[in-house]
Amino acid sequence: MNTIDPRNFQSISEASVSVEIETEDMTLNIGPQHPSTHGVLRLVAKVDGEKVYNVEPVLGYMHRGYEKLAEVRTYPQITTLVNRIDWVAGFSNEIPFIAGTERLMEIEAPERAKQIRLILTEMARICSHFVFNGAYALEVGALTPIFYAMEDRERVLDLIESVTGGRFHPNFNRIGGVKPAAGSGPTTKKNIQDLPVGFYRDTKLAMEKVIEAADKFQNLIGGNEVFHKRTKNVGVLSKETAEAYGVSGPILRASGVKSDLRTQTDYLPYEKFEFEIPIGQNGDCYDRWDVRTREMVESAKIVLQAIDDMPSGPLQAKVPKVIKVPAGRTYVRAENPKGEMGYYIVSEGGLGPYRLKVRTASFSNVSILPVMLEGALLPDLIAIMGSLDFVLGDVDR
Amino acid sequence: MEDFLNQLKEDFNDVSYEFETILIKVNVENWISTHEILRDKFDLKFFSWLSAIDWDNEVSVGDKPKEVVNPSFEIMSCLSSVNSSNLVTISTFISKLNPSISTLVNVFVGANWHEREAYEMFGITFEGHPNLTKLYLPDGYEGNPMLKSFELISREVKPWPGDVDVEGMPEGFDEENS
Repeated sequence: MNTIDPRNFQSISEASVSVEIETEDMTLNIGPQHPSTHGVLRLVAKVDGEKVYNVEPVLGYMHRGYEKLAEVRTYPQITTLVNRIDWVAGFSNEIPFIAGTERLMEIEAPERAKQIRLILTEMARICSHFVFNGAYALEVGALTPIFYAMEDRERVLDLIESVTGGRFHPNFNRIGGVKPAAGSGPTTKKNIQDLPVGFYRDTKLAMEKVIEAADKFQNLIGGNEVFHKRTKNVGVLSKETAEAYGVSGPILRASGVKSDLRTQTDYLPYEKFEFEIPIGQNGDCYDRWDVRTREMVESAKIVLQAIDDMPSGPLQAKVPKVIKVPAGRTYVRAENPKGEMGYYIVSEGGLGPYRLKVRTASFSNVSILPVMLEGALLPDLIAIMGSLDFVLGDVDR
Repeated sequence: MEDFLNQLKEDFNDVSYEFETILIKVNVENWISTHEILRDKFDLKFFSWLSAIDWDNEVSVGDKPKEVVNPSFEIMSCLSSVNSSNLVTISTFISKLNPSISTLVNVFVGANWHEREAYEMFGITFEGHPNLTKLYLPDGYEGNPMLKSFELISREVKPWPGDVDVEGMPEGFDEENS
């Protein structure tokens, strides 16, 4: 009679472990309505167990065809469209377009208008980084920071609203200057509308709060061990790859490149102010978070310097009543919260551009996803994706 | 900036500087080699964007070109440097009949998505592209929306910009104070 020898079983189970287990590849569809995709990005990920080995982003769910629409709009109408490209920092989208149009028309905006633009664009940057801080912490599993971030962002949004009348889509820039501010009394020829009453005081208070908040995030998020475990040495991006893909902004700086268009170009008078350009060393998710959080402090410092040193003068340069841009072409780029945003304007002398190429930061930043996610662990996918801080309106245009 | 421009002029025949933007016009045969030279010799390693312009005398949207043009596609790309403020735009013209050009993916990997966008929007073929499929548009979409001959349907239904505003100014609005 055969007896069952338990030792045989032991050897069998040992043998089966040493043979590599063949697992079937799985295709995982993430999005387009996934909350951590900041809009409607769809990722088709091929996973082998816990490892991701191929990711294909699928775009187009937010494509609104602004480049085509711009061809049937007049120049002043286009600022309304471009506001909606990166809706988290709507104000900064207008700047390069207006700067490009002014360059083609050879109009210089007055000093005061430029400074107001600068203040508001830095405020938009702060808002964008607040959203990132809250959302990113949420994505890697911390629920609390988003409540702080949204509360603190509200103060800055209120300031933007008090000047422009709009919270997300200000449409405040005009060719040759800025629109007279909202809420600052009636317009008469003698009393030109300017910044609203109490703006200086409120800005100072709000910016001090921003610096405080950034400090709070450094403790609340940066001091969290789980956050370190989730982000350090995860999603490392090398300088060379970033450059070749056209990755810009805080992501590029986190990889150790000291590149900031605010100091490299002259679309706004940043040379008047002292600020640091935070850079990272490793180019991992933690550095990308850290660079953005430090940038908030620098932006607040710029705003504080700028309101202390406001040039006086008009808000508008002299512009013709019907805006016709002479034939020519120019490319203007700006350092937006998410990276390099630029407009290539081809004018044929008409009321609208013949062709408007919109270069958005998130488009190039997201194109790096397949490279970064190759070989990553599935739980890291969200951590890496979130650290890129993209907005789908900015990807799809 | 002056030095950089002079250096470029040594290597390329048609370099212009207008409205603070450098434009290098090259022949389509030199499209790839130009980018290689700019990347290796001029340290322009940052791939900013690539796109196309549809030059045509018959347009269904927007304004016509000021002068009569030779119908063609202008392929544009933009390179810059992360270490300085140097930036160049490169342009080349290709024919509208069977439009195709070599892909830049082997020089700058970042060109991948930009070329896919130009492919679907203008119908330009990028030879040697690893994955030349639609980027934004849904499968089965016919036509190339960014062509000047492609009509904007909403404009067909309601022509605009018109002569009058969509609605009148509110009552009591004083034009003097606007």
